[in-house]
Amino acid sequence: MSEFEAYRGLFVAESRENHENLVMNLLLLEKGPDQRAIDEIFRSVHTLKGASASMGFSQMERLCHAMEDVFSLVRSGAAVVSPELGNLLLACSDLIEQMLDDIESGGDSSSGNPDDQVHALRQWIEQYGGTRKKEKESPVSTPVGGLPDESSLITAAERCPEYEMCITVADECMMKDVRAMLALGNLEALGTVLSVHPPREALDEGTFDGTLRIVIASDAGVDTLKTAATGTEILNVEIRVMEGPADMAPDTMQDVTSLLHSACDTAQQAEKKPYVVIPDGEIRAAEKQEIQVPDGAGPVKPAGDDKKQSSSADKTREIKNLRVDIHQLDHIMNLIEDLVINRGRLRQIAALHKIKEMDEAIGMVDRSVSELHSLMMNIRMIPLNHIFNRLPRVVRDVAQHDGKEVEFVIDGGETELDRSVMDGLNDPLLHLIRNAVNHGIESPDVRTQTGKSQQGHIRLSARREQDNVIIELTDDGAGINVGKVRAKAIEKGLITPEAAETFTTDQAIEMLFQPGFSTADKISDISGRGVGLDVVKRSIEALNGTIRVDTTPGKGSRFELLLPPTMAIVDVMIVRINKKRFGIPISSIVEVANFRRDDTHHIGKGEAILLRDEVLQILRLDEMAGASQECEILVVVQYQKRKCCIPVDMVEGKQEVVVKPLSSFIGVTRGVSGVTILGDGAIIPVLDVNSMV
Amino acid sequence: MGKILIVDDTLFMRTLLKNILFSGGHTIAGEAGDGEDGVSKYKELKPDLVTMDIVMPKMNGIEALKAIKEFDPAAKVIMCTAVGQEQMVKLAIKTGAKGYIIKPFQAPKVLEEVKSVLTS
Repeated sequence: MSEFEAYRGLFVAESRENHENLVMNLLLLEKGPDQRAIDEIFRSVHTLKGASASMGFSQMERLCHAMEDVFSLVRSGAAVVSPELGNLLLACSDLIEQMLDDIESGGDSSSGNPDDQVHALRQWIEQYGGTRKKEKESPVSTPVGGLPDESSLITAAERCPEYEMCITVADECMMKDVRAMLALGNLEALGTVLSVHPPREALDEGTFDGTLRIVIASDAGVDTLKTAATGTEILNVEIRVMEGPADMAPDTMQDVTSLLHSACDTAQQAEKKPYVVIPDGEIRAAEKQEIQVPDGAGPVKPAGDDKKQSSSADKTREIKNLRVDIHQLDHIMNLIEDLVINRGRLRQIAALHKIKEMDEAIGMVDRSVSELHSLMMNIRMIPLNHIFNRLPRVVRDVAQHDGKEVEFVIDGGETELDRSVMDGLNDPLLHLIRNAVNHGIESPDVRTQTGKSQQGHIRLSARREQDNVIIELTDDGAGINVGKVRAKAIEKGLITPEAAETFTTDQAIEMLFQPGFSTADKISDISGRGVGLDVVKRSIEALNGTIRVDTTPGKGSRFELLLPPTMAIVDVMIVRINKKRFGIPISSIVEVANFRRDDTHHIGKGEAILLRDEVLQILRLDEMAGASQECEILVVVQYQKRKCCIPVDMVEGKQEVVVKPLSSFIGVTRGVSGVTILGDGAIIPVLDVNSMV
Repeated sequence: MGKILIVDDTLFMRTLLKNILFSGGHTIAGEAGDGEDGVSKYKELKPDLVTMDIVMPKMNGIEALKAIKEFDPAAKVIMCTAVGQEQMVKLAIKTGAKGYIIKPFQAPKVLEEVKSVLTS
């Protein structure tokens, strides 16, 4: 096992791709017969089987082997995939995924026991064919080199000395008949095989017992013939020169006659065949060339040095893509972030000591760092299909569970997002999709009653718009039921029955996102069937994204997620309040204005200011920074349509910084998205305007 | 020792095989991820030997073997197979494959077969 340890990561990565392909094509197959999908499934399980066997993950191999057997039958047309079999195969693919998780975390796939699934698959196979149907053979089945025509056979037999050979294949050989075929093929290239025992059909049918007797007419000589027949897993080759035609037994003669007939048939077939029949001489010439190379005396010498050079050039040209462990990319990203921090520090030192040359040098470093950063950002981009491809399965499962019919369409899966954003997007998206099927789409009879098609439609699309990625999820279901939301909000004590009277659709949507509204209050519930839309909202906001909902009762809903393609490095404005510094993301800032205390008004417990005919709520950071009496500047921030302003003592300037999330020890802190290290080594919080406004 | 082209649709298998071949002192002429690519790489790189997977996308190993044999009748191709694929291997042998190795690969067996086919 240990010798394969180095391949574990690669095995998991590639097996996950194959698993995904398997699930995708199983779902395709559910929609109707699809030969391509069947081929793809066969290929995927075959590859999974081979790879897991190579790694020694026997449980996984066993499961994949049984699935492969099922698909051999399906592929040959002997059986079709029924809905029950489809479910069983999907359950198997779930188990494979579970095994891959286990393997990824260092296990050996034994945590998943495939006994039940393998048993069920085997039962299915028995039902459909008794025994496993043999792989279908192509009608094309003649040795290359075919068999010579009648006249050349006779002349060859007349001219050449004849030999009787006995070839024994090793007992441990797993495909004895194939070995025998190989030896026979090699000998056929050197002369005319006059008789074979057991006959070729026995080799074809797999009834070969391990010993092959051949009579061959050849002028190649004993040693060459012996070498040709010798090979891997060939235990012994005996060769004896025959005395002449008299030495040939009558039954051998009969063999020759039947051979002649089959040779004629073969020659007729050969005319239609796509491959070349090689003249004897050519083979020998080629072999001669090979034999000149000293055995085991270093690499085969190429024809000339020029050739060598060109082939090494070819080799470098070949490598266009390479697979890198994501942790290494994360590490490089961290280093780039450190570079950004230290660049700020250098800049401060240069400014402090007024060193002009250093300023120039930093300018150069600046350019490289920026370029490196944007390059790295591009490398980390992954197409959304990475998570989109798993969703059809989710839709199918939820729809089946709820007894609904849903057509799910994905569009724009090639749109790219940074890996870190992608990681955070998976759960909220999963949740929204489940919600759409579970709560959005109505049951078929309800749909028919309301004049809709029996099948509901859900569409997931993604596109890049300026600096954002927009993901849209639309359904043609019932829409959000304002009455229901109102009743629940009253029940939960979130609003008074009086206030509920004037409840608009927009307000209903707002309520859905309120913490405490939903039945789910734990983040872990997001992957369950809870309806924690507030958790979805928080997760999206943690990615610096926003979520918007439109809904039309009876027509359906539309969820729009607006996401930054990347989130690691952001532009912030550094402000100072009560000698403490904070970063405010530039993207949230609308304007910076003078703070005139005379214009402030107290409204209830809150404070507001009239700025350019607009009443803005004042958000004091007293709790974070302590009350300051020197606030002279107002930073106006906006989140969606809502604006408010933060009074600060002074603005220090704009800076590109790396925002590091708060450690899990601290937990989610409202108003702070993370911290950053400034050039002088100071650690300052970066405000999360979205959760403050 | 020879210059070998590896044709397999999984990077995992290619890497495994590559390391086994390296350990036997062979050099890798190139790698291809499907039959079609395998054929064009064969024409481009003229390797001494090809290891050919059977079940692959685009063009399977048998079709690729046929195409390679058409281009170069003396091509030495070893099929990568698994237990249960006997009929496919037989078809490959009839089409001109010179040997076969069975997954899961065992380094000594792979190297023995490669050596045997290279010197045949």
